[in-house]
Formats: sequence, C-alpha cells, structure tokens
Amino acid sequence: MKSDYEYHIEIENLCTWFGEKQILKNITCYFEDSSVTAIMGPSGCGKSTLLRSINRLNDLVDSFRMTGKIMLQGENIYAPDADVYELRRRVGMVFQRPNPFPMSIRDNITYGPRLHGLHDSDELERIVEHTLRRAALWDEVKDNLDQPALNLSGGQQQRLCIARALSIDPPILLMDEPVSALDPISAAKIEDLIMQLKKDYTIILVTHNVQQAFRVSDQAAFLYLGELVEFDKTKRIAEAPEDPRTEAFITGRIG
Amino acid sequence: MTDSRLNEKQQQSDGSHEPKTRAYGSVANVKRIIQNIKRMSRSKKIDISGKILLFLPTVMSISIIVLIFTFLWIEAFPIFVAPEGGIGIITNPIWNPNDGQYGILVFIAGSFLCTILAISIAVPLGVGGAVFLSEYCPNSLRRPIRMIVEMMAAIPSIVYGLWAYLVLVPTIETIFNVQNGLSVLAGGLILAIMLLPTVVAVSDDALQSVPRTYREASLALGATKTETAIRVVLSAAIPGIGAAIILSLGRAVGETMAVLMVTGNTLQIPYTLFDPTYVMTSIITNQLGYAFIYPLWRSALFAVALVLLLMSIMFTSIAKILIKWGIKSRGLA
Ligand SMILES: Nc1ncnc2c1ncn2[C@@H]1O[C@H](COP(=O)(O)OP(=O)(O)O)[C@@H](O)[C@H]1O
Ligand SMILES: [Mg+2]
Repeated sequence: MKSDYEYHIEIENLCTWFGEKQILKNITCYFEDSSVTAIMGPSGCGKSTLLRSINRLNDLVDSFRMTGKIMLQGENIYAPDADVYELRRRVGMVFQRPNPFPMSIRDNITYGPRLHGLHDSDELERIVEHTLRRAALWDEVKDNLDQPALNLSGGQQQRLCIARALSIDPPILLMDEPVSALDPISAAKIEDLIMQLKKDYTIILVTHNVQQAFRVSDQAAFLYLGELVEFDKTKRIAEAPEDPRTEAFITGRIG
Repeated sequence: MTDSRLNEKQQQSDGSHEPKTRAYGSVANVKRIIQNIKRMSRSKKIDISGKILLFLPTVMSISIIVLIFTFLWIEAFPIFVAPEGGIGIITNPIWNPNDGQYGILVFIAGSFLCTILAISIAVPLGVGGAVFLSEYCPNSLRRPIRMIVEMMAAIPSIVYGLWAYLVLVPTIETIFNVQNGLSVLAGGLILAIMLLPTVVAVSDDALQSVPRTYREASLALGATKTETAIRVVLSAAIPGIGAAIILSLGRAVGETMAVLMVTGNTLQIPYTLFDPTYVMTSIITNQLGYAFIYPLWRSALFAVALVLLLMSIMFTSIAKILIKWGIKSRGLA
C-alpha cells in the first residue's frame, strides 16, 4: 500500500492523555515526503497535541502519557533509547504565535546552528542569508540583522520563526496554525511560502481554516474530539467527504 | 521640560503688558476652572481627582529626596569650606578628629570593597539558585524553598550580624588560618548572605514570567533544558534580574548593623580581603553620639553620609543604564 513513497512519518495507534483525560484516540496515519498534510478540526480536538507528539514537545507536560508508535524513517521516536534532541533537530516547528527570541534577527537564526556546534562565522552568515531568503524575509531585513527581532511586525516575526526553524535544515516541518494570529496579507505571504517549501520539506500544517487547508495541502486529516475521522488526498476530501462529521465541518456547520 | 518653562515665561511676560487685565484674568480663570469642574460628569471628576491623588506621592517623594540632599548638604557644608577639610577629605586616608584630620577615604574604600565583594558573590549565586528553582525544581519543592527564601529576607540584619560574629568570623579564622577574622571578607560575605534571598526571589519571579513559548521554541530546535535556561530564559529575564541587582546594590551600600559587627572597624585602607576596615555607615553610627565635641567632626560625618548617598545613586544609575541597554538590545518593551 505504501511502497511507492518513502514515508517520513508513520503514526500507529497513537493514544495520548493529559492526566486522566484522553486527548487522542487511536490515531493511525502517515505523512509523505515532500508534501503538505493539513490537519483540520475544531479547536480543542487535539490538533496541537498530535503535532507536538511528533517532536515530543508534549514530554514537557508532567501529566502527559501516550501509547502507540510514531515512526520516523523507520525508527520509533518514543523508543526508550531514542534521542529526543536528535529527533528535534530533524523536526522543525513553527508555533501559533510568532515567538522569536528576544535577541537580534541574526542571533535568532544562528541560535540553532551554534547550539549544534557550528561556529564558523562565514558558514553562519551563509545560513542567515539562505534561510531568510527561503522565508522571503531577506530583502526586508538584510540591513537590520543586528536589530532586535521583537521590533519586527507580526508577519515578519512569523517568517523569521520559519527561517529559524529552517536554520538547522530539518527534513520535517511542523506548523501549528502559523497564520491564525496574523493579518490577511501576512497570512497570504506565509501560505505562499508553505507552497514554496513543500518541494523540499515534509510539512504538517495544523489549521483551523478549511479553505487554507484545501489551498495548500496535498493530504488532509480531519480530527474530531480526538478521533481521526478522515484522512486522504485533500482533493478527495474536498470533493466528497466520506464522513458526515467531515462534511459538517467543511461546510461550516461545526467548528 | 525647558520648552514648557520657556512657554510659561513667555506667557507671563505677555500678560505683564497689561497688569490689570492679567489680575482680573486670573480670577476669571479660577472661576472658569471651578465652573468647568462643576459641569463635569461624575466619571471625569473621579478621573481628575484620581490623577491628583496619584500625582501627590510623586511630588512628595521628589521633595523628600530634595530635602534630604539639602539637609545633608547644609550639615556637611562646614567641613567642605574649613581649612582642615575641603573636597580633599575624600582622598585623605587619615581620620583623626582630635588632630583635626578628617580624611574619609578609608570609609569610602571600605564600603566600596564590601559592596563589590557582596554583589559579586550574591548575584551569580542568587541568579544560579533562581535558575535552579525556576527551571529545574519540581513545583512541590519550589514552593517550600520559596517560602524559606522569603523568610530569610525578613530576618533583621542585627541577627545576621550576631550570627556572623559568632560563626562566620571564627570560621574565616580557621579556614584561612588568620589571626583576626574581622575583615572585608567577613563584611562582604555577610552582606552577600543577606542579599541572597532578595536576589533569588526577584530573579525567580523574573524567570517565571518569561513566556513559555520561548522555552518551547528553543527546545524544538533541539536545545537541552540547560541550554534553553541559560541562553534563552536567562537572557529574556535580564530586566527583572537587573531589578534584583539594583535592589541589592542599594541595600548593600546602606547596610549598617551586620557590617559594623564583623569588619573590625579599623582605620586603615584594606589591601587584602583579610584586612579589617571601616565602612561609611559604621563610622556614622559609632561616632555621631560624641561628634558634637568639635563642630567639624559632626560636619565630616554628614559629609560621609552625603558621599554614601551619592555612591548609592551612582551604583544604581550604572546598573540602570546597563539594564536599559540590555532591554533595548533585546527589543523587550
Ligand atoms: N498541557 C496541557 N495539559 C492539560 N491539558 C491539555 C494541555 N494541552 C492541551 N490540553 C487539552 O487537550 C485538548 C486538546 O488540546 P489541543 O491539542 O491544544 O487542541 P487544538 O490544538 O485542536 O485546539 C484540550 O481539551 C486541552 O484542554
Ligand atoms: Mg492548537
């Protein structure tokens, strides 16, 4: 069934809890190489939890528990001997609210590479320019690289966060409602950017916005109350949703 | 500020062309203002009275500072104009009022060294402790520790002084094998211990108020907890930690009782940490009671207080400038 592609991520029977409350119920799905998968669903249904399971950011919550497997290129990332830092170097993340560090623009980008032992300044400069260009921010900030990142506008900050995530060149990019806190123009820019990036990255995009999901994604997942209701090619779901709950969400009757 | 003053002057000179109308005008003005207030809505009235109420404390604190300065200056003035005194007293190391020698350099050096020593011990330790509390400690442990820390901040300084006299000073004598443990080191250490709780508590608050998303962004890039704590969280908490440092600087310079009891109160400039010394607050406390014997003696003590105040302001201003720069370069607020 899956032999045509090199699947980057496979999730098998994933269940998660915060304390006694079960959030995700038996999720099984896969994410293809060089494609955008949109995860849709009403707020509170567990989209962020699913995303944060993939880079193990949920581990920060004391009450978090999980069963099942998440396989990244054939290895279970929750195996007892799995290296969580190595995992996070391969899985970049962009958050709902732009969260650049309170440092200069340049330092935001070089933070990751320096962390992982790169100190050659020419190479760091190259990464700064390269990632800022990829994030379509270079022209706006190239003369102000030493200015504090927090002085940028919200949309620019979010693109900086994308550049920061790209700085350690992860093959996978998780994006948790990356435009929901932005104005429509900035949002459109970032959508374009996602289309650009999908050639080279496996992108998992959580979104609350059905139209956006349909515009940018190749596959889509519909999550409802912690259940994976539907998961297929976006085109198919957009044209003919199988489950009545998916249809209700797409047409705006729930959510 | 100068602009508004200029305007005021201009308005005054404009008015003075016609003194009669001006006098009449001001009466009319007052009437009009009163009428305006009467006509105002309730919420506006509350707003105005609130502003006045909030303005009063500001005016009061400014006038208190001005009054203190004036009072110190008036009291200290005689020593600065006397032939035995002059501005040279701050570089003169000999203090002997019976001999007409009023050099206060010893006290300046003593206070300066004790403060610097205390700060350079208390800040790294306290901030380190705060990082541990905020970033590593489970909440169940953090709460009781915070409670103890806050209690430590409330212990009267005389108690710290007694403890230092009985425990710290003999310990210094044994560890470093010196004859006299009453020293700059003892003063700096006890000050550091006294400052520690404040530094820990204020820094911990600052670290706790750093948004969680900064930590998440750093961890998501593959950083360890420690890398995140030091490179991101600590850096983002600089303004709050700066506040802790300013608070402790002020307290360190002005602390009296504990230092008085352990620095040995010896009139000599300390060249090593183990030398005894005499700090500014101690000389004032010890000698004010009989300084009336010579008027200049008394005046010199007030000069010490004036220098103390200036030193405290200088320390805090330098700290504030550094912090402002830190905030600005990070784009925080
Ligand atoms: N750290 C947490 N601790 C406890 N419960 C949480 C935590 N994070 C999320 N939840 C709960 O998990 C559920 C799903 O949240 P989330 O995954 O953020 O939803 P979504 O992103 O789809 O809006 C919500 O009911 C939320 O209250
Ligand atoms: Mg969410």
